[in-house]
Amino acid sequence: MELNEIRVAVLRIEGTNCEDETVHAFKNLGVEAEAVHLKQFYSDTIREEEKRNIRDYTAIVFPGGFSAGDYIRAGAIFSARIKSVLRKSLEEFIENGYPVLGICNGFQVLVELGALPAFDKTISDRPEMALGINNSGRFECRPTFLRVESRKTAFTGSIDRDIVMFPSAHAEGRVIFPDGREEEWLERLKENGQIVFRYVDPGGRYSGYPWNPNGSIYNIAGICNPDGNVLGLMPHPERSFHPYTHCSWTRGRKETGDGELFFRSILEYMMKL
Amino acid sequence: MSVYLKKDLPFEVYEIDILNSDDAQLSRISEDMGLALNTDEMKRIRDYFRAKGRNPTDVELQSLAQAWSEHCCYKSSKYFLKKYLFGINAPQNILVIEEDAGVVEFDENHAYVVALESHNHPSAIEPYGGSATGIGGILRDVVCMGAQPIALVDPLFFGPLDIPFESLPKGVKHPLYLMNGVVAGIRDYGNRVGIPTVAGMIFFDEGYTGNCLVNVGCVGIAKKENIIRSRAGNAGDLFVLTGGRTGRDGIHGVTFASTELDETSEESSRGAVQLGNPIIKEPLIHACLEANEKKLLTGMKDLGGGGLSCVVGEMALSAGYGAEVYLDRVPLKEENLKPWEIWVSESQERMMLTVRPENLEEVLYIFDKWDVPANVIGRVTEDRILKVYYRDHLVYEMDIEFVTKGPEYCRPFKVEKREGEIHGRVPEPVDYLSVMRSIISHPNIASKEFAIRQYDHEVRGNTIIKPLQGIPGNESHGDSAVIKPLADSWKGLAITADVNPYYTKIDPYWGTTAAFDEMCRNLVSVNSIPHSFADCLNFGNPEKPLRLGDFQESVRALGWMARTLGIPCVSGNVSFYNETPYSYVPPTPTLMGIGIVEDVRKAVTMDIKKRGSVLILIGETKEEFGGSVYSKIRGIEMGRVPRSDPVRLKNSMEGLLSLFREFSILSCHDPSEGGIFACLAEMCIGGGTGCDVEVPDGMRKDVFLFSESTTRWIVEVREEDSRDILEFLNKRNVPTRIIGRTGGRELRFNTGTENLSISVKELDELWRSGIVSLMGG
Repeated sequence: MELNEIRVAVLRIEGTNCEDETVHAFKNLGVEAEAVHLKQFYSDTIREEEKRNIRDYTAIVFPGGFSAGDYIRAGAIFSARIKSVLRKSLEEFIENGYPVLGICNGFQVLVELGALPAFDKTISDRPEMALGINNSGRFECRPTFLRVESRKTAFTGSIDRDIVMFPSAHAEGRVIFPDGREEEWLERLKENGQIVFRYVDPGGRYSGYPWNPNGSIYNIAGICNPDGNVLGLMPHPERSFHPYTHCSWTRGRKETGDGELFFRSILEYMMKL
Repeated sequence: MSVYLKKDLPFEVYEIDILNSDDAQLSRISEDMGLALNTDEMKRIRDYFRAKGRNPTDVELQSLAQAWSEHCCYKSSKYFLKKYLFGINAPQNILVIEEDAGVVEFDENHAYVVALESHNHPSAIEPYGGSATGIGGILRDVVCMGAQPIALVDPLFFGPLDIPFESLPKGVKHPLYLMNGVVAGIRDYGNRVGIPTVAGMIFFDEGYTGNCLVNVGCVGIAKKENIIRSRAGNAGDLFVLTGGRTGRDGIHGVTFASTELDETSEESSRGAVQLGNPIIKEPLIHACLEANEKKLLTGMKDLGGGGLSCVVGEMALSAGYGAEVYLDRVPLKEENLKPWEIWVSESQERMMLTVRPENLEEVLYIFDKWDVPANVIGRVTEDRILKVYYRDHLVYEMDIEFVTKGPEYCRPFKVEKREGEIHGRVPEPVDYLSVMRSIISHPNIASKEFAIRQYDHEVRGNTIIKPLQGIPGNESHGDSAVIKPLADSWKGLAITADVNPYYTKIDPYWGTTAAFDEMCRNLVSVNSIPHSFADCLNFGNPEKPLRLGDFQESVRALGWMARTLGIPCVSGNVSFYNETPYSYVPPTPTLMGIGIVEDVRKAVTMDIKKRGSVLILIGETKEEFGGSVYSKIRGIEMGRVPRSDPVRLKNSMEGLLSLFREFSILSCHDPSEGGIFACLAEMCIGGGTGCDVEVPDGMRKDVFLFSESTTRWIVEVREEDSRDILEFLNKRNVPTRIIGRTGGRELRFNTGTENLSISVKELDELWRSGIVSLMGG
């Protein structure tokens, strides 16, 4: 795929709220990206020129926010709507190797949908894990540092740094596995190379709160599917896209933002498709 | 015989017999109907209807009560605002004071939009819903100008967190409950709509125990060509009501806000607090902005205080037109709302548009796409008369001018001088270190991180300078936040919120100058040019001459500062009646300052950057302990409050801004509450580095350390630049002095005879636990 063939859809419904900056992250790298309302895929009331098909795109992003208010489990309503109108085509999309990314609330959506961790099927029938309420019991907006655990994914190939800073801002981000099967789940993830980002302190050590802002098991911040083309993570790479949105950049600045390396990786992956 | 006569209609509308009522009856009607109108105002209404030869309906009378409330028509404040504050011409002004938000030039093609208001009364009754709907309201004020909101600001004021429950007057909620509820309301609303909360303050004083204050501000950005007025377009245009449904929540919100609270307020006024829904708001913002960008709207205004009754009248009046409204076309949350309830309900998440008939279909399509209800409920008419129909029956007919141009008063006021003389000398403290420990953990100085981190301050991905600054894990409070509003420009906006009610309580005039000074200092500290401000003036009952005297002094001071410095007041809000039978709030003129950052890559933060650099104090330190945290710790009233001189401030600001251009400044912070000591402590905490400071010969240690004199900054500079910098500033008549060097693990003050030192680690712990330790488990 050439750069000019790349088309990114950032999906929105009521309450998603990070679509603008996510679209910008891609546009800044010179590719076409747009925020697309889920209704544009299926609703009869949408005019012809605004109708979209998932096949129009080469990457799909579920952005951060509070889709439908997240008044029940975070991401549950958005994922239910996806299941009812888009499940088959999304499955196909994933099986064709196109990247699907979920950031923060988007991660929650992918988990609720069964697209992560997706041990046995592209989209499992039931959620296999959950993102629980932070151990602190409240919303946490803070810089988080992540060790890049795997570069064999569609999202990390060009990150030439061990540690990246993507800020976190969520109330429900604690990775939980089924009761009593935590070790088994962890082993499977490790074996498949599905653990992509783990929380560390600024010095690179795996640490507890506040560096692990939610109490996630094994400090997990982001995981991918076994094929590495579906990724969900709680921290926001679009919020450290350029060096001046990094925390404490006035103390010494990097040439390129950590977030830019992340988005660049996605493009480079697609150009190999 | 009753004065309430049910009209012979298939629904409930009453005729109120005011034509035959005497003064006592008029005042009873006002009370019974919850109108909060005084007898003179009722008489004025009676005269109007006498001329018409008929009695008013309840719809009409309720409508007048909304329009003539203090909250809506500024009847007690307008006189002073016009006299002192309005009309400051500045080249950056595009549309100031007259609309819901101020519009100011950002660059050639863009404007930024500023709004600030209070949501005090609702928050005192129901803190979560009150603060959440405060955020909702201020967002609409910015959106209705055609701007995308980019930042929220929330200055909050509560009683002391450690006040015993037993000492609370009946009906007053504990400050801890109020604070937690208010913070949660801002968090859950602001985070859900996806607008970052980047600045604010939390201030504690006994004066707020009975009336907490919740002020909310918002900044937006728009292309100049997309700025839209809050007025009806043309006769024949349609009124389209969009957003949430209308219900019984928020009835009498403005009349409730225009009276004192008492122990029955909870019971009687719970229904005056609206219910917020950020998940209607989020798509409502998108839909309004999309329709506006496509040039499909001729006017847009949000529904706030007074609901439909105010928005229709104000949009029509400011365009010189009239209107017809069909109340039965308003979508309702519940059945059986009476016509007057529909007309005055303040239900949230609603916006009024005027649309040319030929564009209606397109507008309705856009709102439908975003799943936001939109309904035509009336039209703009040629005459200046407002007519309201319900199921084809006329229930309201009044001249718009009479309704919307409320009364204006110059009520009696009395200025009281409360500032003491600098009598004798305050004895020096025996134990300086213990004073320092108390100051850094004082709730008004201690870390507000518990609140700041619950607010998403980074959503939208444009927060360049965050509210917490420094080494990750050690961050301290910054002076201003900096936002980069446009994707393709490095230009930024600095935002700060300031006031110190300890000062204004003693002297509203000088205290207000100090607030203005601090606002400017905070903007300059991050290397931004102070550019405009909004004010939210929170005071007690204006019918009491002393309260109004305080208000007058504060507004006079604001006008003096703003005019001399050429920084225009672009929008604002007055909140009176922050008073209970037991207490009233300290005069609280909250200021939200906006600065222009020419290049966000050159912004400066307050954390010490390295060891071995030189610390320079800019400005003069005088014995100004009045209202200082030091005076509170010592328990002594200490006379003179810190005060500003706008001419001196202007010169220093210009000096410092040119210093930023010419030299590399590593960090910058301004001494405010807690003086030089607290300023340096915060710089040390954020930078994880200590410093060694010399107390000047011949100056009392407590004056140097704790005085809160205005117009001062401390800058950290490279050793090799320090001489040139002194010379540079001296040439510009800006007083400077090298006070010390960075390094080590302690904050250390040396005098000729002794060294006072305290470890940065200890300061950090005290500062971080100051409030949290009062919050319990």
